[in-house]
Amino acid sequence: MRRARNTRSLRAAAPTPLQTAGQASLPLADVAPRGDLPATELASTAARRLWFCIHLPQLSLEAFAAHDAALAVLEERQGVHRVLLVNAKAAAAGVMPGQSSSAALALLPELKLELRDRLNEQQVLEALANWLEQFSSFISIKGHDLLLLEIAGSLRLFDGLQNLRRQIATGLEKKGFTAALAIAPTPLGACWLARAGQRVCIREPGNLAARLRGLPLVCLAWPPAIVEALTGMGIASIGDCLRLPREGFARRFGAARLLQLDRALGRMPDPQRSWRATEQFCVEHELPEEQTDRKLLLAVCAGLLQVLETFLLSRQLGTQRLEFSFFHLRAAATTSPLGCVEADRSAERWLDLLTIRIEGLHFKEPVIAIRLEAGATQPLQTASGHLPFNGRGRCVGHYSMTQLAERLTARIGGHSVLGISTVAEHRPQYACTSRNLLANKVNDALSFVRRGFKRPLWMLPEPALLPAEQGCPVHLGRLRLLAGPERLETGWWDEHGIARDYYTAINSRGMRLWVFRNRNVKANWYLHGFFA
Amino acid sequence: MRRELTSNPSSALEQLLENSRVWRGKTQVVTGHANGLASGYAELDRHLPGGGWPRHALTEILTGQHGVGELQLLMPALAHLSAEKPFAADPDTGSGSSVEEPGWIAWVAPPFQPYAPALTEWGINLSRVLIVRPKDDTETLWAAEQALSSGTCAAVLLWPEKLHDQDSRRLQLAAEKGRSWAVAFRPRTARHEPSAAALRIEMRADAEGTHLDIFKSRGARPVTLHSIFSG
Repeated sequence: MRRARNTRSLRAAAPTPLQTAGQASLPLADVAPRGDLPATELASTAARRLWFCIHLPQLSLEAFAAHDAALAVLEERQGVHRVLLVNAKAAAAGVMPGQSSSAALALLPELKLELRDRLNEQQVLEALANWLEQFSSFISIKGHDLLLLEIAGSLRLFDGLQNLRRQIATGLEKKGFTAALAIAPTPLGACWLARAGQRVCIREPGNLAARLRGLPLVCLAWPPAIVEALTGMGIASIGDCLRLPREGFARRFGAARLLQLDRALGRMPDPQRSWRATEQFCVEHELPEEQTDRKLLLAVCAGLLQVLETFLLSRQLGTQRLEFSFFHLRAAATTSPLGCVEADRSAERWLDLLTIRIEGLHFKEPVIAIRLEAGATQPLQTASGHLPFNGRGRCVGHYSMTQLAERLTARIGGHSVLGISTVAEHRPQYACTSRNLLANKVNDALSFVRRGFKRPLWMLPEPALLPAEQGCPVHLGRLRLLAGPERLETGWWDEHGIARDYYTAINSRGMRLWVFRNRNVKANWYLHGFFA
Repeated sequence: MRRELTSNPSSALEQLLENSRVWRGKTQVVTGHANGLASGYAELDRHLPGGGWPRHALTEILTGQHGVGELQLLMPALAHLSAEKPFAADPDTGSGSSVEEPGWIAWVAPPFQPYAPALTEWGINLSRVLIVRPKDDTETLWAAEQALSSGTCAAVLLWPEKLHDQDSRRLQLAAEKGRSWAVAFRPRTARHEPSAAALRIEMRADAEGTHLDIFKSRGARPVTLHSIFSG
């Protein structure tokens, strides 16, 4: 008590640069009577938030796929591979963290050794963060083994803290992770409590300090030198730290440590960086063995599509393009792009298209892995459905034009399912163009019609040279010119300029043809279309 | 129906006679119950049951060669379809009236490029035209069946290389299911092959004009029409 008072007087004489006007009266140690604390300030900054921290102490081990065999994860320390973590089976054989790899192998020759893979750990952590997004809108990844969620906003949706905590805990357990969970009003407080392995749930900011005080220094994750120095001073817990004079503490151990303590206790705001998932979707699935059965492959794809749907759903996004890649051992991958007229996320719809597509796919070799990649995503507008009882529901078994186009495209190919439109162009061969039905927008405003000119309904892709008999063109009999000429002389500005006289002609079989004669080159006759 | 039968025998008889399936020998006249799709050619309409193309059925058009007016024959009806609200003119549909967009016209495996400016001139809504170019006949029939049964295509035109009896039946059923008009273009040699189509027309052209030989028409008598359009 006395010491604390000293602290106070000292601090008043020489305030640390960290102190702000709002908390100038706060001592480092939380020893002042409760009434002295600016409770309103605490309430306003901290009580609105509740932080849920997940500590994964065994992540290095659990990041590897579940093994039945004994497994040990190694880490290189000063040139020696030492065991970092072991699974239960290895532990039963006496393999312990800290042993050298050779010692571990001597104990258990069939022990499977894996070198720690930090990149993989990070990916696993991100995947978990991804999964946790269903529980909270604010997720933060702290360090290499901590996940932080803000849950004050989720409590109502998940029917209370108990329920939410249970859902997260069972979810993690199902995924095969050992986790320590802690809930506290400050992010750092929650992290430290979780790291200490304390299963606590502190909702009142007032109760936080008491719990934090008892924590050992290890859970602060401070540099070993600092922890050593503190231990040398006889300081073993956070509570001991808090009893030190502020400025002295800041001078010896750095202002950043003091700030951490303040933040943990909720005296200083502690802004967190929110983790955002990548918007690009790509998942891979490795098959346990080479596979040729399309039904099984389809089942795997259905699983991948479910993952995609969850991904898109959590972001309120949709996508128009997907690409499945089927990998083979000794051949290039078979890819199969799928397109959709409207952005969609429904796994069912994609699967429907894939089912049509997969029939036509030719696999050169058995498949060993499947990758699903989503194209550019876009915000998805969901349409409201009709209520079934007002008689405006859609006919059963009918589907929309977009779905029809998708189904056709899936089987026949995107280049073979097209729309058409006109182009403002005098040259007949350029006045008509195909357009992609799967494209986003149809620009009808560009449509242009020159009325009053008779044009054939069928056009040949390329004009066909007609033989001539005494200057008269022949196509299944000699042609009689009915109308014309219509002179088209245009396009001189590029290399496809034309100078033609077009005629409507009829042959003895009653076929009406659109023929032309070139004016500037040779006077050959060409067939360009049928008046069908 | 049953109630009217008992209450008023004469009206029941009229109703019965109006049914195009009742064969009345030589005195057969096509009744004015206009549920057909007006073809735009008055003479043709007079000889088609229902006063026009059969709406939800398969029509076969047999031609010897291209360019004899086989598309011209359909154009007025197609223009009407691509502008109209599908099923709106159909008296016996309740549920279909919720579809407010004009119907699509699918062209499956056309032999040449349908020319957009000419289609526009005929009044076809180009934004409602779907062109499918399948690789083979199996895909042609599959695509046509999909388009017909989808319920979004008002008309499906297809050019199969071969159309077996059971295929035509499938198309006929798909057309009924999707309430869509199917038109299959076939070579003239197919005339003697059996088909489930509701209407089969052979087109012949010579220097004088185009002649239609309606040799099968469900609910009407076969007839040959000469020079229904010219120029």
